Amino acid sequence: MSTVLTSMDATFRERLWKKFIVFIPYLWLLLFFLTPFLIVLKISFADPLVAQPPFTPLFQKSVETGLSIYTTFDNYLYLFQDSLYLVTYINSVKLAFISTCFCLMIGYPIAYGIARSPQPTRNILLLMVVVPFWISFLLRVYAWMGILKTKGLLNGFLLWTGIIDQPLELLYTDTAVYIGMIYSYLPFMILPLYANLEKLDIRLLEAAADLGARPWKVFKDITFPLSIPGVIAGCLLVFIPAIGEYVIPALLGGADTLMIGRLLFDEFFLNRDWPVASAVAIVLLMLLVLPIVYFQKRQNQELLEQQ
Amino acid sequence: MNNDNQTTKKQPFIEIKGISKHFGDFVAVNKVDLTIFKGELFSILGASGSGKTTLLRVMAGLATPTEGSVVIDGIDMTHIPPYERPVNIMFQNYALFPHMTVFDNVAYGLKKEKMPKEEIKSKVAQMLELVKLSEYSHRKPDQLSGGQSQRVALARALVKQPKVLLLDEPMAALDKKLKQNTAFELVNIQEELGVTFIIVTHDQEEAMTLSDRIAVMEEGQFLQIGPPSEIYENPRSKFIADFVGNINMFAATILSKQTNKIVVNCPTLGGQHEIDFDGSIADDIESITLAIRPEKIMIDNQLSGSENTYIKGIVEDFGYFGNLSIYRVKTSDGNIIQVSKQNRYRSERVISWDDEVYLSWEPSNLLLLTE
Repeated sequence: MSTVLTSMDATFRERLWKKFIVFIPYLWLLLFFLTPFLIVLKISFADPLVAQPPFTPLFQKSVETGLSIYTTFDNYLYLFQDSLYLVTYINSVKLAFISTCFCLMIGYPIAYGIARSPQPTRNILLLMVVVPFWISFLLRVYAWMGILKTKGLLNGFLLWTGIIDQPLELLYTDTAVYIGMIYSYLPFMILPLYANLEKLDIRLLEAAADLGARPWKVFKDITFPLSIPGVIAGCLLVFIPAIGEYVIPALLGGADTLMIGRLLFDEFFLNRDWPVASAVAIVLLMLLVLPIVYFQKRQNQELLEQQ
Repeated sequence: MNNDNQTTKKQPFIEIKGISKHFGDFVAVNKVDLTIFKGELFSILGASGSGKTTLLRVMAGLATPTEGSVVIDGIDMTHIPPYERPVNIMFQNYALFPHMTVFDNVAYGLKKEKMPKEEIKSKVAQMLELVKLSEYSHRKPDQLSGGQSQRVALARALVKQPKVLLLDEPMAALDKKLKQNTAFELVNIQEELGVTFIIVTHDQEEAMTLSDRIAVMEEGQFLQIGPPSEIYENPRSKFIADFVGNINMFAATILSKQTNKIVVNCPTLGGQHEIDFDGSIADDIESITLAIRPEKIMIDNQLSGSENTYIKGIVEDFGYFGNLSIYRVKTSDGNIIQVSKQNRYRSERVISWDDEVYLSWEPSNLLLLTE
């Protein structure tokens, strides 16, 4: 009888441990993601105040009504009334989208080339993709400023070769922002694509060729469709940080480069309008999360249909 | 296809002329010549690393030969890319496209030919019928068993109506029972469609049951080419004799050479033997190998009186396999002879360990091996 008890004890303890281990990452997310999110959400429903903190509290106590909850949708309405915000959102999405497209177009051949090269070369090539991370991100963006400015390296080179006779206006334009974004986020496209393409079974390509597919068709019919999970992973890894990017547009972009990240900064630190800034952040989050949720739901549905 | 199959049958259909394939310093295939006839079921049998798969890839166009040429149906195909060759290959692990259904896998080759949709549909349906997979056309490859995957791969390669079908270890991934059934199915399909099959395998049983002719390959070269029975009963060398089936081999010395006959002395097999031999043998060779297959030796614990030649021995070990038993018998000079015996009766006098037994054989079953 006692042995039964101890064995039950053991399985019970084991299950408790399992739950505990699964619980830790959730606790982490709860503390460091959900809590700040809820705080921001709360602030977005408040009115700005010239006080410390600079917004109205959610729960208000007064002698007449007792404890009451105060919320307002004004901040969200304000976002839709002022076209600046809409334009900025559209601009951010456009910038992130175009950067992602370029990253994919440049990154795919690179990832493919690395995955197809012989083993020793492959490691060196991969290292070269990762090496820029060893230098501070800020430093690299400053380096681009040096390259792109009117009397910078690029203009100097182009003038020297005689391709142009007037220096190009590059720095503080959208072009500079695109160059900076594509440069900075390219490794995030290459690495997941490489991880996917490296697993691709060469015999599938041989089988397609054997069945009459020319090299381009083999790529279109076999290689690319099988690499779609990698493409999606890479695109998300580029698109999501790119949409909220602050540093690159701030340093390389002009005054007219409107980006959400910059707007957020301005609202928080220049206007000190925390409620509007919070609303901007919440809308941005919805803009990112809703398509992903929708996408995942569709993918699950497809999986279910297959079975 | 034409009706005069009989007359065209002996026309060379695939000619491999002096093919070599080097990988750096390694010579995978070394100056190989081979002629295969139309409608033939031809096997290339070899251990792994013998160069058989490389040769198959050269025929499919997936590897370019270092030298030599491949001619198929009178056209030099050496530098034709795989997608333009009238040849299809069934890969060892089938290489089914994981993101396509069974139907799309089989239809893929036809779509690349720009065949009209309706025609593709009927052809694929017909082919799936042939391999008995009609009900599985909407499944994905990961929802199929090994045998089903193998049949999809076969259908996908055959639906293109290739002049030659290359099969790389077609049954290596199947279990034993399934192997036997599949072997018969393959032969039936081959007969029905009349396509020339070239099979690459390391499994001698597979090669035996499937082929019209077998080429034994080792270190990038063919050692012997012939029908299965010839390879088995008249192996050209000790290597082939040992590689294809089991065989007992003993040292012997030549006593005298006559036309079509050689007299040898083999102590293990009880002394002098006269053996029919119509090959040529160099004058200075004195020692030779005498060989006999285990199933061609009779074993009994008493003499019936009709034996021509026999020796005595002691059973050192035996294994019971149900349909047959295999005995390892120690001869008077200490050599081991392997004997297999059909278990023809349910209750039989059992020969067991340490029994004294008599081994006898027909003299014509003895084989002389010079190399």
